[in-house]
Amino acid sequence: MLGTLNQQPILYAAVLASVVPLIAFLLIMVVTRRRPRVSAGLSIVAITIAFACSVLLLVRYWGLAALLQVTGTWVTTGQFTVSIGFILDPLSLLMVTVVSGISLLVQVYSLGYMAGDPGFSRYYAYMSLFAWAMISLVLSPNLLQLYVFWELVGVSSYLLIGFWYEKFSASEAGKKAFVMTRLGDVAFLLGLLTLLIPLGNLDVLMLNSPDIGSTMPAGMLTLSALLIFGGVVGKSAQFPLLTWLPDAMEGPTPVSALLHSATMVAAGVFLFARIFPFFSQSPAAMTVFLAIGTISMLLAATMAMVARDIKQVWAYSTISQLGFMIMGLAAGGYVAGVFHLITHAGFKALLFLCAGVFIHVYDSNDMFEIGRQGGRRLKIPMACMIVGAAALSGLPPLSGFFSKEAIIGVLATQDNRLWLGAALVGVVLTAYYTFRLIFIMLFPSAGAPSPPPTSGHGHHGRDYWTMATPLLILAAVTLVLGFAQTPLTQFLLFGVDAGGDHGHGERGLLIAAIAGAVGGVLLAWFEFGRKGSPQIGFVERIPALATLFSERWYLDRIYRWLLDRVVYGVFSRLATWNDERIINDGVDAFSDRLVGSGRILATLHRGMIQYKLLVMFSVVALLGLYFFF
Amino acid sequence: MIIHYAPFPILTTLLMCCVGGLVMILCIPGERKDLIRMVSAIASGLTMVLSTWLFFAYDKTQGGFQFAEKFDWVPSMGITYFNAVDGFSVPMLLLTGIVFFTAVLTSWELEHRVKEFFAMVFLLVTGVFGLFMSMDLFFIFVWFDVSLFPMYLLIAVWGSTRKEYGAMKLTLYLLAGSALILPAIIYLVTVSGLGTFDVIALMTEGSFTPSQQRFAFLLLYIGFGILAGVWPFHTWSPVGHVAAPTSVSMIHAGVLMKIGAFGILRVGMFLCPEGWQYWAHLMAVLAVTGIVYGVFVGLSQTDLKYVIGYSSVSHMGIVGLGLATVTVDGLNGAVFQMFAHGLMTALFFSAVGYIYDRTHTKEIADLGGLSKTMPMATGYFVFAALTGIGVPCLASFWAELTVFIASFQKYPLYGTLAVGALVVSALFMLRVVQQTCFGPGKERWANLSDISPGLGIPRIILVSVIVLFGLFPSLMFDVIQTASIPLIHGLP
Repeated sequence: MLGTLNQQPILYAAVLASVVPLIAFLLIMVVTRRRPRVSAGLSIVAITIAFACSVLLLVRYWGLAALLQVTGTWVTTGQFTVSIGFILDPLSLLMVTVVSGISLLVQVYSLGYMAGDPGFSRYYAYMSLFAWAMISLVLSPNLLQLYVFWELVGVSSYLLIGFWYEKFSASEAGKKAFVMTRLGDVAFLLGLLTLLIPLGNLDVLMLNSPDIGSTMPAGMLTLSALLIFGGVVGKSAQFPLLTWLPDAMEGPTPVSALLHSATMVAAGVFLFARIFPFFSQSPAAMTVFLAIGTISMLLAATMAMVARDIKQVWAYSTISQLGFMIMGLAAGGYVAGVFHLITHAGFKALLFLCAGVFIHVYDSNDMFEIGRQGGRRLKIPMACMIVGAAALSGLPPLSGFFSKEAIIGVLATQDNRLWLGAALVGVVLTAYYTFRLIFIMLFPSAGAPSPPPTSGHGHHGRDYWTMATPLLILAAVTLVLGFAQTPLTQFLLFGVDAGGDHGHGERGLLIAAIAGAVGGVLLAWFEFGRKGSPQIGFVERIPALATLFSERWYLDRIYRWLLDRVVYGVFSRLATWNDERIINDGVDAFSDRLVGSGRILATLHRGMIQYKLLVMFSVVALLGLYFFF
Repeated sequence: MIIHYAPFPILTTLLMCCVGGLVMILCIPGERKDLIRMVSAIASGLTMVLSTWLFFAYDKTQGGFQFAEKFDWVPSMGITYFNAVDGFSVPMLLLTGIVFFTAVLTSWELEHRVKEFFAMVFLLVTGVFGLFMSMDLFFIFVWFDVSLFPMYLLIAVWGSTRKEYGAMKLTLYLLAGSALILPAIIYLVTVSGLGTFDVIALMTEGSFTPSQQRFAFLLLYIGFGILAGVWPFHTWSPVGHVAAPTSVSMIHAGVLMKIGAFGILRVGMFLCPEGWQYWAHLMAVLAVTGIVYGVFVGLSQTDLKYVIGYSSVSHMGIVGLGLATVTVDGLNGAVFQMFAHGLMTALFFSAVGYIYDRTHTKEIADLGGLSKTMPMATGYFVFAALTGIGVPCLASFWAELTVFIASFQKYPLYGTLAVGALVVSALFMLRVVQQTCFGPGKERWANLSDISPGLGIPRIILVSVIVLFGLFPSLMFDVIQTASIPLIHGLP
């Protein structure tokens, strides 16, 4: 249903939600750059307005049996048109609420975390830029608008990862993130072009209509779907483009919480959900997606098993969980995938923000170090972290349990049992690496000296509470969100032909999933938790495996090699050599020859007056002879 | 062809701002440097205001040639003083006005032979303005040479790295170009038998045969293409950029290279449409080669200005690819890209120029950590780099997107290659940004001062215009379409 703004004034809320952060960004950049507190205030007010608008819209349209789309023309040239506007359907309404809500919490948290940073204003400007781009992305009614903001969230991610630009590793990580996601985005853009040229526009509703299959050949459709999925792979850090995300942890921790776990990286999965009916038209492509999701899920989980850096563990876990969502979607579970996306956004943001408190107080990312320094004394973050970890592991009754269960239920409907098996292995691994971290931090090994309590609390009193409040809110959400599964499912199912995936898994499956999670936790307890445990994982007992995992399956080495040897070593060198030696020297040699031949002719014009006179005389004499005789 | 004559010779007024400025500068004694700067700023500011007014006053609903003024000049040879603007040239005038004014402000700190410098710049820009508005082949050729001649002196006198070599190379290349253009023009005028140099008359009544068009178009394409940095005739351009002083690089890359592409469009495509279609495939091949080649060569450069020089080769390749598609979208994208690239590269050179003026080095390896000491100056640099890699909501994104769509439709393989080059272009731009601006601050650069508000003005103007046309690309597309649609629909 197409609407206009004037018919329903409440729609201005959607405009407001997407525009206010942009205004905040511009104001901070132009006016209040030198006044950090005003900048932070502007940014937080803007995101609060955006959040209020999204909640208003969500409440207003809850249970309403119509979706709304408002568009205007942005660009018209020749044969194609880009429209700009917004679409309000269950998916976008839920996403915009999640995005603005978590943004708000993270921005409040950052007041404490970033306090005193010289780039405070810049930080809030980039945060507002991100909020604008991300909100506009999730509201996009067509894929070209989505692509525009997709690139813009990439830019804000680049700026925020490299926020502490004096750190070489940070600016390097920002560059890597941008270039690797660009690789996926090029495929995405090509996929869009393959659709745009025959179809003329890229409206989501048109792509999702069931008769899209009849307008183009099946092979072409599969090709487009695969190319567009390239964007998902880049943005959501799936195999093989997954190595940028762990590096992106160089950014400030609140940035990791917001961009690199809860929202921006989930944009890939969101895109999948956005055009889910379109993708489902191609079973072949869906199988490829399922495989990629599974590989990413398992690979990242193995990497997380050996990491020592808290943020790295959560980063690998993010890749793994995004892979899990893609498995769910690719197996036909639209609601399951989206539901896991939402619950994951909550508990993963919680886990990152908790990690941020520890990093802030103990000035270390190493989980052993934090444990040794007495990390468990920070009661609120520790408790919240355990809640988040339990949700991540899929323990009942936390939100993660319900959404994982839904995905496993969908996977069980697949004919090939391989996917279900892989998912269950993933559940065990996830529980294992999550609680490995928790136990290491809770129960530092006995031999370690226990330093006196840090003065962190006293110094950071106000900061501590600024940071703790968002944690409590997120933990509360994680506790209750799972019980909202039924209404959310009903809401999400409106308007999308999502197939019959809303049945729960059977009882046996339920038991298997819980057993897997509990088994993982117990294994972690045996190795890291119990009194006198060696705190060495079973993976570390096999050195080859441990190296393989901590080297990220050598993916980074391969990329480095490709970049150095192929891009720089072959293409760039050859092109430069050609430019200098062949084209440039060729031209120079040509002009030298020209000058040289000029010299030969010029010898005729040198001094030698007698010689010239002689020639003149002879010529005159010859002419005279000719004329007179 | 609709021609609307102007009640008031606004285009000549625009030219007279340049000529008047030139004359005034020549009359002021060389010691009064501040006065010279003020006069230059006012005169160039006037051209910017006038060209902006022209851009918005151009009637998009009418289209065609507007603000025309025509006087016989040498009737016996059919030479007329004929100026008019259409949807292609109005954006170019706007670009020239903006780049001219910002370049003058950017060279505010220049101390060496100020009078001669500004006089040369004014002469150069007079030629550029003249070429963009002229509708008479004779004048197009004259303006072309007028804009080339001062480049030699500007580089050879005020330049830096290998300036004599760079100046000589540039001049020889461009003269070779004009040696191809002149015969083509004379050929077209003689075979038409009309005895006129009037572009519109030649276009509507010329009735050139296909083989004549193919021959003339090839000459014009190479001749103007040299100036547009078409691969493989591009090597003068990075060398020239490196040798030229900052504001000259801005004008050179920002405006002068556009003359080449514009010449192909105005003379080649208007007069020899069949030649254009015949050679389109060759143009596409050369353009794509330039796009891909430029980014790879740029990847391994060690001098900041070389990097930008090669990025220009790549970006001008996008213009060439757009022209080679022979579609409305391709033309729209190409002309928009000329405009967007002009602004972006002017901003790039002005940012690099500031860094060079303070550090006296352009070696990337020597720089690093500059953001700490000069956050504003490097901010403009980062902004230009982001524009260069096609970040949405900045002007060049739309231009590139349009060209990609058009080329993907017409030549899927070349379109794919051009899109693929986006990855490498991101890599090489961000590499430069990282190595110059980011990383730990270096002791050597700890005491440098950041850009002053006064010197910030030209950069702010460029940034605002890039953002304006990035957020509202229709402002530009609607103007260009008034010319591109009739041109494509009028094709045989």
